[in-house]
Amino acid sequence: MPSSVLQPLPLQESIHHFPVMTSIGTGYDLSNSVFSPDGRNFQVEYATKAVENGGTAIGIRCKDGVVLAVEKLIGSKLLVLGSNKRIASVDSHIGIACSGLIPDARHFTSRARSEASNWRKLYRSPIPISSMADAMGGYAQAYTLYSSVRPFGVTAIIGGMDEAGGPGLWMVEPSGVGWGYFGAATGRGRQAAKAELEKLPLPNITVEEAVRQAARIIYFAHDDNSKDKDFELEMTWVRLEKGSAEDAAVKGWGKHEEVPKELVAEAERLAKESMEGGGDEEMEE
Amino acid sequence: MNHLPEAWGRPRNDVYGTYDASYLQSSMPNQHTQSPIVTGTSVVALKFNGGVVIAADNLASYGSLARFTNVERLKQVGTHTVVGAGGDISDMQYLHEKLLDSLIIKEEYQNDGHHLRASHIYRYLSKVLYQRRCKFDPLWNTLLVAGWDDGKPFLASADLLGTTFSAPALATGFGAHLAVPLLRRVCPDEAAVENITREQAVDTIEECMKVLFYRDARSLSKYSLAIITGKDVEGAAECEAKNQSWKFAEGIRGYGTQVV
Amino acid sequence: MFRNNYDNDSVTFSPQGRIFQVEYALEAIKQGSVAVGLVSKTHAVLVALKRNAEELGSYQKKIIGIDTHLGVALAGLAPDARVLSNFMRQQSMSSRLLYNRPVPISRVVNAIANKAQVNTQHYGRRPYGVGLLVAGVDETGPHLWEFQPSGMVLEYKGAAIGARSQSARTYLERAFEEFVDSNREELVLHGLKALRDSLAQDKELTTANTTVSVVGIGENFKLYDGDEVGEWLEKLGNVQSSRGGRTGEEAVESMDTSE
Repeated sequence: MPSSVLQPLPLQESIHHFPVMTSIGTGYDLSNSVFSPDGRNFQVEYATKAVENGGTAIGIRCKDGVVLAVEKLIGSKLLVLGSNKRIASVDSHIGIACSGLIPDARHFTSRARSEASNWRKLYRSPIPISSMADAMGGYAQAYTLYSSVRPFGVTAIIGGMDEAGGPGLWMVEPSGVGWGYFGAATGRGRQAAKAELEKLPLPNITVEEAVRQAARIIYFAHDDNSKDKDFELEMTWVRLEKGSAEDAAVKGWGKHEEVPKELVAEAERLAKESMEGGGDEEMEE
Repeated sequence: MNHLPEAWGRPRNDVYGTYDASYLQSSMPNQHTQSPIVTGTSVVALKFNGGVVIAADNLASYGSLARFTNVERLKQVGTHTVVGAGGDISDMQYLHEKLLDSLIIKEEYQNDGHHLRASHIYRYLSKVLYQRRCKFDPLWNTLLVAGWDDGKPFLASADLLGTTFSAPALATGFGAHLAVPLLRRVCPDEAAVENITREQAVDTIEECMKVLFYRDARSLSKYSLAIITGKDVEGAAECEAKNQSWKFAEGIRGYGTQVV
Repeated sequence: MFRNNYDNDSVTFSPQGRIFQVEYALEAIKQGSVAVGLVSKTHAVLVALKRNAEELGSYQKKIIGIDTHLGVALAGLAPDARVLSNFMRQQSMSSRLLYNRPVPISRVVNAIANKAQVNTQHYGRRPYGVGLLVAGVDETGPHLWEFQPSGMVLEYKGAAIGARSQSARTYLERAFEEFVDSNREELVLHGLKALRDSLAQDKELTTANTTVSVVGIGENFKLYDGDEVGEWLEKLGNVQSSRGGRTGEEAVESMDTSE
C-alpha cells in the first residue's frame, strides 16, 4: 500500500475551487462514491458543474426575516409567465430556492417537505431552520455514498424563521456540505451576486430593504452572465405575519410567501434604473 | 420438566390437580377503543342566507365530571371552513391538530392557486372516519363541517361510523335531540335558508346553546361561536348563554332548598 | 453516433455536469410523430398526427383521455406513455375519492414529473422515453403542460413535441398572442395549422391521420377521430399554409430541422 494513502487527508470543506479537467481519463470519475488517489469524488464535482450552469439564486438574511430570489431564465415566449415556480415552500415557515437541475430540485424540496411533516408529527411543532439544513445536508450526502445513485445536481438555499434563532439562512451543496449564511448565492451569476451581497450591511437590514437589494442583485448578476436570455424575477420572503411583535430581536415562526406583486414591481423598477445608471450609487438606504 | 416461566412456582399437579392456566392465554379478539374517555357534547350549526353559524361549548367532561372548561372544539381550516367536533376530545385533537393542520400546510405549500374548501375537507374527514371504523378502531367523534363553498353555504356531518349527512340545520350529540327541533322550526328545509338572516341564525343558535345548557348535564354556558360567510370566518370565543332563567327549577323536586 | 465514457447510465454526470442517458431519452421523443397543444381563456386543445406501421395497419393512438377534465398527447414510446397515463388516472381517481375534487392539472403533472426524476437518479432504471402534452381544465382555468423524461415540466400557452415539431413551434410562436381570445373552433384550427406546418413535404392531414381533443371550462374532455375531424380539415383547406401553400409547386424552402 503506498504510504500516501495513510497520510491524513486535508479536510475538504468546499469543493468550489477545485480545477476540474484533471479528472478526465483517469477512470476515477466514472462512478459515484469512488475516491480518486488524491481523495476527491469527481462525480460530486461534476454535479456541482450542473449547478454552476443554472439560473442565479440568492438568499439574504435580515434582522426581521429572510428574502429568497431567483433568476428564472425563460427559454421560450410560449411559456406561461408566473407559472413554473422555482422557489418552493416547505412547511409554512421555510422556503427553498434551488439552482441546478430543476427536476432534482423538486425531488430535494419534496424530501424537505417530508422532513418538516415528520418533525411535526413527532414533536407537534414546526422544524427549526438549522435542523432542516442538517437533515437536507444528510440527505444530499447519502447520494454521494453509493454507486447506484448520483448526487443531486442542485445547490439549495434554505431560508426560514424559527422561534429559537429567528431568521435562518443555509446553503446545502451537492456534496452534502451546508453552511449558515447572512447572504448566499449560487448558480451562474454567483460570483457577481456574492460580490454585491458582501457590500450589504447584513444582517442589519430590513426585509423590505432586502427585497430591493435582491432584485438589484439578480438583475446585476443576470446582466453579468446571461444578458442574451430573457428572465423572470421570482422572489419570496419569510417574516412574521402582520400584527405580530416587531422589535429589534425578532423571533418566532415566520411565514414563507411570495413577495407582494407591487413590491416586486417597484423593486424591479429600481433595479432596472440602477442598471441603466450603471453606477455604484445604489447603496443608499 | 416444563421450563416455561409460567409453570414456575405453581402448585404441584400431583397435589393440587392440573393447574388451570387458561387465564394466561387470551382467547379474546383484539380490542380497540370501546368508548370515549374525555368527551365534548353537542355542536350545533345553521345555514342562513349568506353563510353558516356554528357553535360548541368549551367543556370537556371526564364521565360526569366537568373536567376541562376551556376547550376549543371549533377549528378553522383554511380560509372558509370551520370543523366542530363532539365526542372524544383526544381523538378531536388528533383530527384538528395533526390531520387537518398538515392537510392545510400541504395544500398551501403547493402555491398553485388551489385551496381546499369545505366540501373537500368534509370528504377527507368522512373518509378518514370511515377508514378507521373499517379497522374497528374508530375516531370517536361526530363532526360538523361548516363553510362557504362555491358561492353557497355548506353544512354537513360525519360520525365515527363514517355516516355522512347533510342538512341546512344540524346538531350532534344531545343537540341532535334537543336543538334540531328548535332549528327546524326556523329552517325546515333547504329552501328556507334563503329567508333566514344572519341575525336570525345567530339568535337561533344562541337560543339552542341556552336550552342545551338547561337540559344537557354535560354542557357548559360558556361556548364558542363562528360565522362563516363568503368574506371570511368570524369567530367569537367565550360566549355566555344569555337571558338564562332558572325559575322553573322552583317547581321541580331536587333543586334548591325544598320542603318535601 | 459515438459512445463516450459518461453515457452508460443515468447515474453518471459528465465533466460538464450533463447526464447523457437523460439527454438521449429526450431524443426518443423526436422519434414519435408530432403533437401540438394550445390554450385559450376557455379551452385547451390537443392535436396530433397519427402514424400507421403499414398501409393496412391501424393508426397508433396519440391522445389519451385521463379524466373528464384532462387528457394527454404523447410523442415517443407509447408503452411508457401508458404507464404514465395509468398513473395519472390513479391520481385523478384518488383526488376525486379523497377530496371530492378533480385533480388540479399542475399537481398531476408534478406527480408524473417526480416519478420520472427518480428514474434519472437511480441505477438500474431507465428514464421514460416519452414526452407528453397535458391539457386540462381546473378551477384556475385551462392549462397546458409539457412533460419531459428528464422530469422537467413547464406550463405553456402553446407547445409542440415530436418529429419536426420545430415547424409547429414556429407557427405557435408567431400566432400565440391570438390564442387567448380564440373561441373553441378557432383554437382547434390554430392547432391544426401548427400541425400542418410540421408535416413532411409529401404528407397531408387526413381524417385517418389527424386526431383532435378539446376540453373547456364547463366542457368535458372529448377526443375526435376519423370523420369527426373532417369538418375542421375542410375549414383548414381554405386557409393557406403559413409555409406557403402545399398544393402548388413552391420551392422547398424550409428544410427539416429535426429527425
